This record gives sequence, C-alpha cells and structure tokens, in this order.
Amino acid sequence: MTSLLSLQQITKAYPGVLANDAVDFAVERGEIHALLGENGAGKSTLMKVLSGLTKPDSGQIIWKDQAATIPSPQASKALGIGMVHQHFALFDGMSVGENIALGLGTQFGATQRDQIIDMSEKYGLPLDPDALVFTLSAGEKQRIEIVRALLGEPELLILDEPTSVLTPQEADSLFSTLRLLRDEGRGLVFISHKLNEVRALCKRATILRGGKVVATCNPAEKTAEEIAEMMIGTRPVPTAKAAQKLGETALDVRDLVTNDLRIPALSVRRGEIVGVAGVAGNGQEALYAYLAGEELAPSADVVRLNGVAAGRFGPSERRSLGSAFVPEERLGHAAVPDFSLIDNTLLSNLGTDGFQSRGLINWQLTREHAVEVCDGYDVRHAGVTGRAGSLSGGNLQKFIVGRELIKRPEVLIVNQPTWGVDMGSAINIRDQLKALAEAGSAVLVISQDLDELFELADTLCVLNHGHLSASQPTSAWTAETLGVAMTGDVNREVAA
Amino acid sequence: MIRFVPRTQFGFWATAYPLLLALGITVVVGFLVMLAMSEQPVRDIWTLLTFPWQARTASVQWGFVLQKSSYLAVMAVGLSIGFRANVWNIGAEGQFAFGSIFAFGAYVMFGMPDTVWFLPIMLAFGILGGVAWAMIPAALRVWANTNELLTSLMLVYVAANVLNYVTTGPWKGDPKAGQAESDPIHESLRIASIIERTDFHWGVIISAGAIAILAFVVLFTTFGYSLRVAQNTPRAQKFAGFSPKMTVWMSFMLSGATAGLAGAIFLSAETGKLIQSENYLNGLGFTAIVIAFLGRLHPVGIVAAALLISYVNVGATYVQSASQVDDAVADLVQVTALFAVLGTAFLSRYRIVLGTRDLSTEGAA
Repeated sequence: MTSLLSLQQITKAYPGVLANDAVDFAVERGEIHALLGENGAGKSTLMKVLSGLTKPDSGQIIWKDQAATIPSPQASKALGIGMVHQHFALFDGMSVGENIALGLGTQFGATQRDQIIDMSEKYGLPLDPDALVFTLSAGEKQRIEIVRALLGEPELLILDEPTSVLTPQEADSLFSTLRLLRDEGRGLVFISHKLNEVRALCKRATILRGGKVVATCNPAEKTAEEIAEMMIGTRPVPTAKAAQKLGETALDVRDLVTNDLRIPALSVRRGEIVGVAGVAGNGQEALYAYLAGEELAPSADVVRLNGVAAGRFGPSERRSLGSAFVPEERLGHAAVPDFSLIDNTLLSNLGTDGFQSRGLINWQLTREHAVEVCDGYDVRHAGVTGRAGSLSGGNLQKFIVGRELIKRPEVLIVNQPTWGVDMGSAINIRDQLKALAEAGSAVLVISQDLDELFELADTLCVLNHGHLSASQPTSAWTAETLGVAMTGDVNREVAA
Repeated sequence: MIRFVPRTQFGFWATAYPLLLALGITVVVGFLVMLAMSEQPVRDIWTLLTFPWQARTASVQWGFVLQKSSYLAVMAVGLSIGFRANVWNIGAEGQFAFGSIFAFGAYVMFGMPDTVWFLPIMLAFGILGGVAWAMIPAALRVWANTNELLTSLMLVYVAANVLNYVTTGPWKGDPKAGQAESDPIHESLRIASIIERTDFHWGVIISAGAIAILAFVVLFTTFGYSLRVAQNTPRAQKFAGFSPKMTVWMSFMLSGATAGLAGAIFLSAETGKLIQSENYLNGLGFTAIVIAFLGRLHPVGIVAAALLISYVNVGATYVQSASQVDDAVADLVQVTALFAVLGTAFLSRYRIVLGTRDLSTEGAA
C-alpha cells in the first residue's frame, strides 16, 4: 500500500458536540480523494487537524508510514501538506506576485516571477504576476491560491469547496489542473457539495455524517442521489414543481438602468418561478435592493407590482402591495443577530395587520406569530426569546424564509435562498418555494447555485456584470450556454 | 484557562449581575480613593454615604439630589435615543444653553409678562431653542455626511459664545454685577419649590414627566423598535423599511428638545437670569452623556444612574465643607462607575467558562 496519509481513529470533541468520532481517512499517492458531508459533519475539523490548526483528542496521524504530529500550520507545511481555502486570503491592493511571496514569507523578485510563470504554464494556471488582485475574477484569485500552495512543493494538496465561486468553464479548467497534479503522484483531497463534480473527478470518496465515517465508496459507481442519501441519512426526494397554467404578470421590471445595473426586462407571472443565475458579485445585491425597495428606481413605472408602479416605493409600501423579500445576508440584513426571534419577527411585519396600531407594538401577537413561524417551518430553536444569532445557519434561514412565506405573499423575491445552508434545510426551503408558486404566487429566485435553479425555476435568465440576459424556459438552457452567458462579453451580446 | 462563551438567552440575571459587579467595583475603588484622600477615612466615608441625615435638614440635601438628577436624567434619556441608534449628539451642553437663551428671548420678545401663565410658553421656547440648535449637526450629517460627533461638540462652544454675547450685548443687565448677566425675570416666572426652602421644585416634576413620555416611546413604540434595529445593523433597518435619515432627524430633535427643556427650567428655577457662560454652564450636558451610558441607555437605568451620581456629587460637596476632603472624589467615583459599567457590559452577552479545554470554541464547522 502506498498510502501517503492515513488518519486513524481521529476523535475531536468540542463543548456539546463530538466533531470527529473515531474517523479513519486515508489518501494515496496519485488519487483525488473526495471528502463529503453536510455542514457540521466534521469535514472542517478533520482538515483543521491536518493543517495544524487544532489537535485531536485522540487518534493517530500516519504520514508516509511514520507516525507524525502536526502541532502548527508551519509543521503541516513542512511535512508537505498544502491547503487551498474556500475563502481567499489575498490582499486586494497588492500584485499577484506580492501576494504569493507574502504567503511564502519571502520577497517578490525576479526568481520568484520566473517560478510563478513556470508553475502557471506547467499546470495550466494562467497568471500575470504583476496584475493587481482586485482586478481579477474569482477564478483567477483561486489560481493564485493554488500556485501559492504548489510553490511549497506539497505532496498532499487539500482543496476546500474550490468550485463554489467558479463558472462551469472555470471549474472544468480547474479539473484539468487537478488531474495533472494527480498524475504526478501527488495526493489530493477534494471537498465539495457538488456531487456531479465529485463523480467526474474522484475514484474514492469518504463520507462523513455527524462526525463519523458512514461510507467509503467509488463515487463514479453511485448516483448523485445515492451519495446524497449517504450524506444526509434519508433519501432526499425533491418534490417536482407541478406544471400549471401561469397567471397574469405580478412582477414586471422594464428598463431598470442604474450605475451598476442594466435590466431591459424581467417579469414573473403568478405560479411561475423565475431564476436569475450568475457568478457572485455581478449585480445580484443591487438587483435585490431595487426590487425590495431598499434602493429606489429612477422612476416609478420601472418596477410594477401587481400592476402598480412601485419603483419609488420603499420596502414597507411594497410589502403592503403583497410582496415579500428574503435578502442574501442572514445576520445583519434579514435578521438582527442580537434580537430575539420575537423581535426579529416584527422586522418584516411592521406593516402587517395587527402588529402595531398607531405606533404601539402588539408584542403578544408578535410572540404568537414567532412561535407559529418556528412551528410551521421546522425551525429548531431553544425558545423564541433566544438570540437569532445563536441559531444554526439552516435553522435561521428556515425562520427567515418562513417569516415571509407565512404571509402567503403574491410576489416573493429571494436572494440566495439556500446559501451556506445544510442539505436537509435546503431541500425543505426549496420545497416551500415550489409550494408557494404552485399556490399561485410569483417567485423570483436569485442564486449562484445552478443545480438549485435547474430544480426550481420555470424560466431562467443570467446576470453578468449587472446586465440581465433575456429569459428563456429553463429546459432551453444547458450548463454550457449558461456558463457562456455568465462570463461572456456583455456588450457584444447586447449588439447581437 | 478562561473562555468567554456567547449567551443564547438573556434573562434578568444576565443583565443584573454585571451591574451589581460594576457597583461593587465602584464602591471598592471609592473606598480606596477616600482612604488615600482623607485623614479620617472611616468618618468621611460614613458622612458621604449618610450625608442627608448628617445635615441640619435632610429635605434640603434630598432637594439638591433630586434637582441635580432631574437635569441629568432628562437630558440623558434624550441623548440615549440617538445613542441607541448610533447617532452621537454630544452637544447637549450647547442645546441646554440655547434652551435658556430662547426661553429668555421669548420673555423679552413678549414684553416681559409678569404672570405665571407665561411659564409654559417660556418652557416651550426653551424646547424650541434646544431643537433648533440640534438641527444644525443633524442637517450637516444628513445632507453633507459630516461627522456629528465633531459638529455637535464644536457647536457647544459657539453656543457658549452666543450666551456671552447676549449677556454683554443686547440683554446686558446690571453693569455693577461681578459678572456679565441679564436682568432677572419676574418672580412670577420663577418655578416654585414644592417643599418650602428646598430645591425640590416643579421643574423636577416636569422633567420626570418628559422622561416618562420618552421612556414610553423608546420601550413600546415602533419608533423605539426602529432605534434598536438601527443600533448595530443599518441594513436590517433598510430591510424593515425604516429610513436612516429619519432616525438621525428624530434623534437630534428629541435630544435637543430635552436639553432645551432642561435649559429653560434651569433659567427659571435656579438663576432667574442669563449669566456669562463660565458661570452659567456647569457641564450638566456633558455629565448627561456619562449618565446615559451608566444607565445602559435604558430609561430606568438612566434615572437610577442619575440619582446615584447626584447623590455622590452632593454628598462629596457636603463632605468637602464638613472636612477637608476635595470634592473631586465625586468625579473619581463617577469615572470609576463609568469604567466599571462599560467594562462589565460584555458579561451580559458572554458567559465566563473556566476550563482547560481547547481554545477554539467555534464547534465543529
């Protein structure tokens, strides 16, 4: 056995939770090993053990057939373990070369420049050492992280959710690089939620659930559904949205042109779910703000809700027209972290009947409503007087979505409905959104998750550099045409 | 190893015990200060704690305490409204001065009426004066995005000079007085004492009424709720449909109104005339900022803090006259209390856990 790394019976407890429970995990030379599991399954803890950020309570680390300890990140690097984190640790104002040098603890010079260029040519990672980081796309930033890790000559390279911010094309070129590294005899650990990628890339997968290894398998031989079932325990059966006749147009946007947005036309009919795809940072925040009334449109008739020109209305007036909003950021936007769930219930209900009369708040009703939202939408909590910030991401998102859905809004605008949410909650939330549309509401979903959009949306359009493409039925799009629309040259597209 | 774990529930105890701890720290430090400053510390500490009963008439001493605390509390409650929403009006001293100036101006403008029925109008003009002066930093913040900390503070000194101008210029009174001052207002417009020969006057009751109204607004209305939302999360404020600009306007308006009211009451009850700023403004508007934070920006806490600090202040003055201890001891106690309250505030959000476990508390991410 040419095991490069073997973790044996790793156990790590945090107060109240056993993050890793006797985990066995082995990576061989020349393989891309997938590490799968929901949020909270223990993947990050295991990787923290490998990168020297935390010490296991018990268990053994065998590195190249010898027992090893990893007391610090430096020790991890010295052993030959490289890590590419999900969140980039880069200085925006510095050049690519300076960032790489900084990570290696050296000065940026001519030798380094040559090294970077060599490395990027060898592995198909095009990089300009002198480009400033803030001018780069997410894919290019990731290449910096990878080159930085490779310059440390790692024998084991760990990639944590490497494709979460990439377009399909960028992800494909990343996979070519990873295969090249594999064929050189390095070991790779690939952490991802995207099961199709895992199936295409990996021959072996370790699946964690609740801190334990539940299975080791060849993902290529399993279906995505089977893997998902192993990850979350019960087979997730997303209920398909019932096909139905669409009603009249409930949300209608025409010629919304601002500093950062160009929306020629966007409309959602009753019973319809329209998806807006796009890579993060392409105007999703602005689009949400103009639809939710947090930014006012240049003129009133640019945004119509149920036929009423609402472009100059604020959030409260738009809510009174039957619309509801779920912003991307849970803490600090959709909810106040230090508020109780009761206080947070009021946040989007100030205009709802009964919650206040002449400025006086009906706390009794607010409390009852908070309980109703939690009960009705499977929010697991320690009491409605508890802080919103203490809920897990999935539970808080269910609360925030439930708070709007319970109103049965005629128009719902959701930005990233399941971002950073565990799989069980995500399925629950998507099913709720489908049910709302089936009941005759118009739903607009802005999301970076293409799988989610393909599951939910009847109609899809793409936001790219603030420009919204024409809408087409979801079935008319493929991952490839979407990818092109997400990265293409906006101006040329307009001309065509 | 000591670790701090965020609380998930806020019970009564979580709020109460840090305050008790702060009180304890203040008492201990206060005792130490007295030990250092006094030749007979035990006697002086005893005097400081029980001075109303040591004095010839307790009601006079209690009158001082109530009078002083009423000014501090009403201004502090007004300021706390803005502080709750991260709007920093630290110019209450100037708005207090303008309250007095407007009240006196109304008196002059309406031909110096000699009837108690004019008093409400004087107070109303006092409120107007405080609001007018507070609108300047509010407008600069909303329209020009100027830092209101700087503008509101600088306007204190402008207001002081306006006070000096009117007392030496248009409203100059007795030239033989040892200070620049206006003529006194009619006796009928002087707010009367409720208890004979004490400073416990009707102005204290008016202030208490204003505090009650503002407390109701802050605790039970959607406006009060909007301030809480604005405190840490401006984006949630937008999500809920509140206007951040309206929060700035309202915060300055209410804090200016309370400071102006206090200024008008002060003119009527204490001095009866305008005096040059050095002898008229005695830092009440600044102390009110301290009181607002001592009371954790909560109306009940503010009233308690105002009473406590006033008690120590008046007591220190009494001890100074009785023995040779400098009344600066009161300032030291005030500062200690502020440090202690702010320093222990985080305990209401975090639990202390003793243990030798791993430092990382994020749990299994």
